[in-house]
Amino acid sequence: MPDLMNHVEFRAALENAIKGKSANKAPFSIAWASGKLSRAHLARWAENHYHYVGPFADYLAYIYARMPDRYTDAKDFLLANMYEEEIGGDRHTDLLIRFAKACGTTEERVKDADNMTATTRGLQSWCYAVSMREDPIVAVAGLVVGLESQVPSIYRKQTPTLREKYKFTDEEVEFFDLHIVSDEIHGERGYQIVLEHADTVDLQQRCLKICEVGAQMRLLYTTALYYDYVAKDIPLSELEQVESKVPEFERELLQA
Amino acid sequence: MPTIVLHRGGQIHRGEVNENTNLVVRAGIKQFPYPNLRYGCGMGKCAKCASRIIDGAEHLPAPNWKEKKQLGAKLEEGYRLICQLWLSHDLELAQDDKPLEPLAPASP
Repeated sequence: MPDLMNHVEFRAALENAIKGKSANKAPFSIAWASGKLSRAHLARWAENHYHYVGPFADYLAYIYARMPDRYTDAKDFLLANMYEEEIGGDRHTDLLIRFAKACGTTEERVKDADNMTATTRGLQSWCYAVSMREDPIVAVAGLVVGLESQVPSIYRKQTPTLREKYKFTDEEVEFFDLHIVSDEIHGERGYQIVLEHADTVDLQQRCLKICEVGAQMRLLYTTALYYDYVAKDIPLSELEQVESKVPEFERELLQA
Repeated sequence: MPTIVLHRGGQIHRGEVNENTNLVVRAGIKQFPYPNLRYGCGMGKCAKCASRIIDGAEHLPAPNWKEKKQLGAKLEEGYRLICQLWLSHDLELAQDDKPLEPLAPASP
């Protein structure tokens, strides 16, 4: 039986669990980072991503409803997070749709649930299941620490790639850089909640496990995007040739 | 560690932050300069965090596209959007009692 970790040990363990195994080898990520995707490929990504991140406030709302009253700070954080996703400024999904349009697709196609892959539907379902069924602190670990906290560092690297290699304008890629601040706040406050309230060995271990599973789900989602949309145009052999030329940090693209 | 001096409402608030720190992120997680830094959307839209830089502006990056879009001529007066800045040097800044109106506010 593992020991109860202090906050420093537990945070390091969470960060390690989030990294996952070989996530940066996802072929879709390699193709994105090396500038090989077409705008049509990116449009398919946007059409899928909408159904993964679009319901984020819904996921949080289920956690909010089940979070015990005595965890007032945690409840307030979830409420603030929902507000900021939806009406604190520009609605985040509106900016995703703007990017999607720049890639050549339409708002109707993005919002049409028939345009996501079965795997994306699985990721969305996993997010709903976590938010509805897991202990609320474990759910915060899975969705806020495990998924949302990863967004800033990835998008910070992704935005220049979209501008420089894919030639999108600042406004077209605003979806990616708005997350850098808001998700950094959300991720860090998620860590604070989990570190404070996961106060038993069992809860800590469940938080670590759900972060590992979240990393697996992200990899599954990204890998499916490659096989469903890109493989017919860019074979793995072509990506293997460029993989060694893609800087390590750029391979992390799209893992959030 | 950078030292930050914030003037607001006739008071001066001073604190140290780690390198590569965003003050809006800090305030969002309830650390200095919380609760004295006014901020809003964190996405360069509302301009509630806009502040006039008193000292240390030479260490800041050039204004990005959002700052140019929301602040316009106010940039010439030394205003910056604090949510858009990651700090690695000392900075002294002041927030007006009344927040600036952004030139291009978020969509209704």
